[in-house]
Amino acid sequence: MSSAGIDKVRDWILGRHPERTELAADVDLIESRLVDSLAFVELVYTIEDAAGVEIDFDAIDIEDFQTLATIEKAFFA
Amino acid sequence: MVSDVIDRNDRFRGILDRLATKSIDDYYNPYRLFEWPDQLPEDMWWMSPELTTTYGTEWAEKLTPEQLHTLSKHESVNFYSLNVHGIRELLVEVVNRIHTAGFETPSEFFHHFIGEENEHMWFFAEFCLRYGKKIYRQPSGGAEAAVPSDKIQSLLVFARILIFEELVDHFNSAMAEDERLHETIRGINRIHHQDESRHIAFGRELVNLLHQDLKQTATEQELDEVSTYLRRYMKHSFESLYHPQVYRDAGIERPHELRRALLESPARAEAELRTFRKTAKYLEKTGLIR
Repeated sequence: MSSAGIDKVRDWILGRHPERTELAADVDLIESRLVDSLAFVELVYTIEDAAGVEIDFDAIDIEDFQTLATIEKAFFA
Repeated sequence: MVSDVIDRNDRFRGILDRLATKSIDDYYNPYRLFEWPDQLPEDMWWMSPELTTTYGTEWAEKLTPEQLHTLSKHESVNFYSLNVHGIRELLVEVVNRIHTAGFETPSEFFHHFIGEENEHMWFFAEFCLRYGKKIYRQPSGGAEAAVPSDKIQSLLVFARILIFEELVDHFNSAMAEDERLHETIRGINRIHHQDESRHIAFGRELVNLLHQDLKQTATEQELDEVSTYLRRYMKHSFESLYHPQVYRDAGIERPHELRRALLESPARAEAELRTFRKTAKYLEKTGLIR
């Protein structure tokens, strides 16, 4: 059961990749190049907005952003 | 190699010599050049209103003049912060190449470039820390662009530097002339515009040469990927002016909502076109963007 917040993040990623209809929680977003360095900024802002949190950009742990599951655990748990 | 491409081109070697001479003739001490009052008046435009992110939108009407002034202060600190980090990143790339195989010919000019960019980074950081008490950051991470060859890598590095410099110069040239702004603000924009005109002249020539060389061997797909990447990079660079932390610091309650609304507004599209008018014309003329 996923939260509405993580659904927003999933929708944002799927919206950028019309060729995909699904995105499993364990897909590596970085390795699969679903989120490249130019898109990463928007991913962070999408999470901030959906979770209602302020992320410290100086202390970003890239592992938190690896998959939908790690994003959910880090920002929506 | 980059030096081979340059060495085959008399015109570019002449330009490099002229730009290096001009750097020597125009040399100044940035640490003594500017007046740095302890504070600047809060209730004034810190950035030309036409360059702020709310310009031409309903938000420019909704916010009070005082709120717009405050927002212009934080937006200006973000603009100079983008300069600080943009310069830091481009210095890393140029320092990685100076006096290495393939970059023998432009290394003399690179010394001026590195020296001048370091000085720009100093006065932009000084402004941010003195008046904004912070340097804004952008989130960084994600997969790096897949780079199939050194040739493409060098082309993208210098094209990114050029696009970034042209964006900044659009702002600098307007703010240097804007009598509504404080003289300290006008001064740093004026000096930066003066130095950047040399760097942009260098960048335009080099990027064109590197692209002509790449076209000899690259596939159509590679050239398409370069074009797509540069278009995305321009959009990404422009959108970095819309920073949620800036809106938060200016007292806006729902910063992401405002950011989204501004990015989706026709005024943003028009401002982006205006900012990159010359850049896009150059990139289209040279065939870098298709």
